[in-house]
Amino acid sequence: MGFIQLRLDSVTMDDNLACPRCKTTKYRNPSLKLLVNTCGHALCDNCYLFWRVSGLWDPTPSLRLPSPTLEDPAVEKEVDIRRRVLRDYSKQEADFPSLREYNDYLEQVETIIFNLANNIDIIETNKLIEQYKKENKEQITKSRTRKPTQILLLEAIIEEENRRSELRHMESLHSAKEEKIRKQKNHEALIDDLMFLESDAKAIVESHKATQAHQQVEASEIKPLPSQLGISSLSSSAPQPAYQQATTFTSGIGFGGSASFLPLPKGLGEVPLFVYKAFLLEIGGPPPPSLEQLKYPSSGKEGHLQHIRPATEAEIAGGYHHAIACRRALQDAFMDIAMQPKLLKSRSIQNESESESTTKEEVEMDTS
Amino acid sequence: MFATSTQKNHWIFSDEETLIRIREATNKAYVDQFRPPEDVGDFFLSATEERTLLHFYEYQLKEFCVKFQPTMNKAVIGTAFSYFKRFFLYNSVMDYHPKEILVTCVYLACKIEEFNVTIAQFVANVKGDREKAQEIILNNELLLMSAVKFHLTVHNPYRPVEGFLIDLKTRHPVLEAENLRPFIDEFLDKVLMTDVPLIYAPSQIALASVLEAARKCREHLDVYVTSILITDEEMLQSVVDAIRTIRLMVRVKNYDPPQP
Repeated sequence: MGFIQLRLDSVTMDDNLACPRCKTTKYRNPSLKLLVNTCGHALCDNCYLFWRVSGLWDPTPSLRLPSPTLEDPAVEKEVDIRRRVLRDYSKQEADFPSLREYNDYLEQVETIIFNLANNIDIIETNKLIEQYKKENKEQITKSRTRKPTQILLLEAIIEEENRRSELRHMESLHSAKEEKIRKQKNHEALIDDLMFLESDAKAIVESHKATQAHQQVEASEIKPLPSQLGISSLSSSAPQPAYQQATTFTSGIGFGGSASFLPLPKGLGEVPLFVYKAFLLEIGGPPPPSLEQLKYPSSGKEGHLQHIRPATEAEIAGGYHHAIACRRALQDAFMDIAMQPKLLKSRSIQNESESESTTKEEVEMDTS
Repeated sequence: MFATSTQKNHWIFSDEETLIRIREATNKAYVDQFRPPEDVGDFFLSATEERTLLHFYEYQLKEFCVKFQPTMNKAVIGTAFSYFKRFFLYNSVMDYHPKEILVTCVYLACKIEEFNVTIAQFVANVKGDREKAQEIILNNELLLMSAVKFHLTVHNPYRPVEGFLIDLKTRHPVLEAENLRPFIDEFLDKVLMTDVPLIYAPSQIALASVLEAARKCREHLDVYVTSILITDEEMLQSVVDAIRTIRLMVRVKNYDPPQP
């Protein structure tokens, strides 16, 4: 089938660029990738899928769609061609007797690429390629397996680096282990000395401290590693404090006799013991029925509960009973029904004078 | 409970004269801070004028609460009224605009009585500049609380009323208790506009409302009160006194909104 000619509005991957097929989608997705076909045309991801599925165009068997890293599809196309061509035309300098011939060869290659990229003499160029392929078949197959020199170089470098880092790692582990062993030894030595030597304990500790510091200095000097990569920072851990013998509890009280404790002060006076007084509620009215009286009424007071909304099962499960609400209502109804406001007179005058002063304060605050 | 509450300990006064005295003292304190010369005369409001103004605004408060969407429960209305009364007992009308205090009282009452309304829903009920109203309310809230000395729990007569109805149905079933309800509601509405909540206990107000409603229904509840409810002689006397005074106060009060 023939090619479907697509128009490109502009070539740069900015907001003006549209996938030629589904023109609108570039607005929605500014980061939409346009994949470049071998014919040099760009398609967005979805359209490429459509293209593959529908098979409308001539699907070039060698169509590869690597992620286009270049903005210009023309360049993209050329790069693709170049890669393909160079896979076949892969002779190295060493294969040619002279420099001149090598350069001629290279020129040949470039011409081919240029022609293909700009659609000049495509048929003839392809013929040339076929011819070359036939002639150098073995060479091509050999070189296909062999990785190009650049890649080889890179690989060598990477390997070298890996080796070095591993070496470093091993060394650091080793030195850490040594350090640990050394410390342990010192510790044990100190204890041994304290046990068996007859000189002053303090002096022993001092001397051990000194030797320890000395050892550490030595160790850090040895540290420059064979790999010479300046990893001396490994050894720069802070100098550990020397072993100290405990003389006090952590709270500051010393070991030794209990003579330092003060005796409890006597004769503080007998404080009166707390006596529980039950809370007394003055009802100021007729006594309301209690919960029991409501729930289990005697003949006289039957059925206060029938006049209140009964508790649902959920409410009873939660601990509520309508007797509670009933009692509350009755309590509120009876409480202080016999209250005499005039008896509160003395208190209200007090309130009055108190509140006057507070009013004045308030007023002053507002105006200040 | 009422007996142990701050309401009983701090906000119950002996009688109307005490209240009048307090209000006059507040008024005087306000005027005095300006140290005016003697011939100022009509410039400041007198205590009685303040009272009239407050009466007008209480009426507005009532209207606001009744028209409030979603429908407010009565406890909220009662609490709002209490805050309003308490606030203007010790603060002058000349100092704080009653309209601002009015909405703040209602807002605070909603919170305290656990009637959940967001500030946005609340100002939707206010006519006029909503943003400004919101600002006013939120700024005045703390002022109101401190003016009420942070005694925020108000005991309203509505639960005692329920208690009496239950008791009536149980112990005095002769009377159709449910018929009394609309009259009780009417009475309690009137009570809110008076000074009664500042003088009497909620249980006394509730009993007064029940008895008044019974009278309107031409029923006789004296038997109930004297024989069934209260058996102690002395107690009975004080109860009867209280009830009588409450009913008198409510009857005497003029309920027409004063013309602006």
